[in-house]
Amino acid sequence: MTDAKTMAYINMFGVLGALPMLCKLDGEASALLTNKSPVSLCLTVRGGPAATFTFADGGCTMESGEQKCDIKIPFSTCEKFNGMIDGTVTPIPSKGFTKIGFLTGPFIKLTDRLSAYLRASESDLADEAFFRISTELMLYVIGGAVAAIGNHDTIGTFSASNIPDGTVHLSIKDGPCVTVTVRDHVLTAAPGRNGDPRAVMEFADIRLARALFDGKVNSMDCIGKQTITMCGMISMLDNINRILDRVSVYLA
Amino acid sequence: MEHKINTYEKSRALFERATKVIPSGIYGHQGPAEGCFIPVEAFPFYSDHAKGTYFWDVDGNRFIDYMCAYGPNIMGYNDEEIDEAARRQMEKENCVTAPSAVMVEFAELLTDTVATADWSFFAKNGNDVTTLAIMTARAYTRRKKIVFFKGYYHGVAPWTQKIDYPGIIEEDVANNIYVQWNDFAELERVFAENRGEIAAVISQPYMHGNFMDNEMPADGFWAKVRKKCTDEGTVLIVDDVRAGFRLDLAGSDHYFGFEADLICFCKALANGYNVSALCGKEFLKNTVSGMSYTGSYWMSAVPFAAGIACINKMKRLELPKLLMQKGTMLCDGLKAAAAKHGYDLRVSGAPSLFYLRIANDDSLMTHQRFIAEMVKRGVYLTNHHNHFINYALSEADIKETIEIADEVFRVL
Repeated sequence: MTDAKTMAYINMFGVLGALPMLCKLDGEASALLTNKSPVSLCLTVRGGPAATFTFADGGCTMESGEQKCDIKIPFSTCEKFNGMIDGTVTPIPSKGFTKIGFLTGPFIKLTDRLSAYLRASESDLADEAFFRISTELMLYVIGGAVAAIGNHDTIGTFSASNIPDGTVHLSIKDGPCVTVTVRDHVLTAAPGRNGDPRAVMEFADIRLARALFDGKVNSMDCIGKQTITMCGMISMLDNINRILDRVSVYLA
Repeated sequence: MEHKINTYEKSRALFERATKVIPSGIYGHQGPAEGCFIPVEAFPFYSDHAKGTYFWDVDGNRFIDYMCAYGPNIMGYNDEEIDEAARRQMEKENCVTAPSAVMVEFAELLTDTVATADWSFFAKNGNDVTTLAIMTARAYTRRKKIVFFKGYYHGVAPWTQKIDYPGIIEEDVANNIYVQWNDFAELERVFAENRGEIAAVISQPYMHGNFMDNEMPADGFWAKVRKKCTDEGTVLIVDDVRAGFRLDLAGSDHYFGFEADLICFCKALANGYNVSALCGKEFLKNTVSGMSYTGSYWMSAVPFAAGIACINKMKRLELPKLLMQKGTMLCDGLKAAAAKHGYDLRVSGAPSLFYLRIANDDSLMTHQRFIAEMVKRGVYLTNHHNHFINYALSEADIKETIEIADEVFRVL
């Protein structure tokens, strides 16, 4: 039902792709990178994704593909890269041994912080600020996962093949948004309200969004009760919703 | 005069109750999600009663109904002549151990009416007979593969759905081949790549799919498809569930000048009494006879009696011509109202099954606002599905609809 390559793209651009927003939203994460020398880290996966992360001035940016970097970690298979995300595989750099302290120090703490938000406990979520950051990051991870599945998963690519070109906003009312852009049935996702949307799906509030992400409410009921609203090119949303069904298979 | 704006307090309260005991409150195409109620607040959820071309919702709002129960209402809700035939049959018998004699009368009438029909087989829903058609084609040809035209709708059985739909597994759709509507070259290529393997081509008589402008067959398309199927030993199935009797009482294949091997009817067949029919050519009758295919209510007599009354009335009135005239009058008026206010309203499909799209923006948000404002003023239209004309729709109703459209375009 799932494949390692799609999972690797989800892990790279969905999960690790949330690092830049983590640094913006979470002071503790940002502090890990403050007053430190800039470091760039390239992760490449044979037969899978590659991305370069730059950590500087308390923040993080991500570029797709292999860019000039200080540290490079190659993975011979998607499974091994996915293992690193799961904590079952120890990464071995091929470049940047003098910067290894970044990997074993700030980077590990940063990813631990991300995990805390994405696999939050009930007690953590009782804190309102933590809850908001956690839910917002989940929205971005889901956005990245939608793009990964639409571009790589066998069933997801079928759904993507039926999506016309354009921009879709998946948003929380008066709150965060992820923009999914479709060009020739290739999907990209980015935080924020980018471009004029051709379709919009909006959740009434962050609590509802969280309940939907956690599978605690029925989205069809929500549409009828107007706590989820949709407008624009419904054929775009219809097919993205089919991909969203697949997200829960990968991120369960 | 400004028209009243509807509110739906009782519909919403009922929906709250419904969600506790019915999955998603209203499931399927008549619900707010699949029905594309955009925004939801503009639409009623539950009806209270209906007559002619109108229905009244539980809040007492009256609607001129251009969805006609998504097709079944072809003569008008509660048509007295058809209801009387049904009532008389009900007094005699309905669901009985032995099928009623009226079943034979209905089959004879339908077989006489539909040009390609040498026999009729009855069930309840459109999907019952599209599935029977596919099974018949596979049983007759002993082949697996089925060709569909993209944008199709042939029901909800697993074979009709797509690989990314919940509950569908690869094996359900493994023998489905999808080609573009009106692209005969692609169809020829598919036949060449699957020589001797294609059991059936199934199609609506024209592309009246959702979310897209409806598209008539290109010149010569059906003649070429018909010949190709004959040459390849493939069964040609027309799904006339949606368009049936609104183009031609002899079948929509007859309207477009060809003969299907199998043709499926439901919706308008009995003006809302639940019956569907598969009609077919003689050479497939033995195959159907040998199939294990039946249902608890498939031989209920009341819908047969209603169907006889409905077909006879449609014939007497030469109904498709009337529906086309009404549809043309309505669509011309709507287009003129739109143009007057600077809106580009596109109308596609047959006038008796018209599809609407405002083309001023490519997100369709303007279109959705238009539809919502019409519904709020008592004209029931839907966003991304074709509409339906019924006999009870009067010139006064059409005039009122156009007046409301003029008001809506003014305030949009």
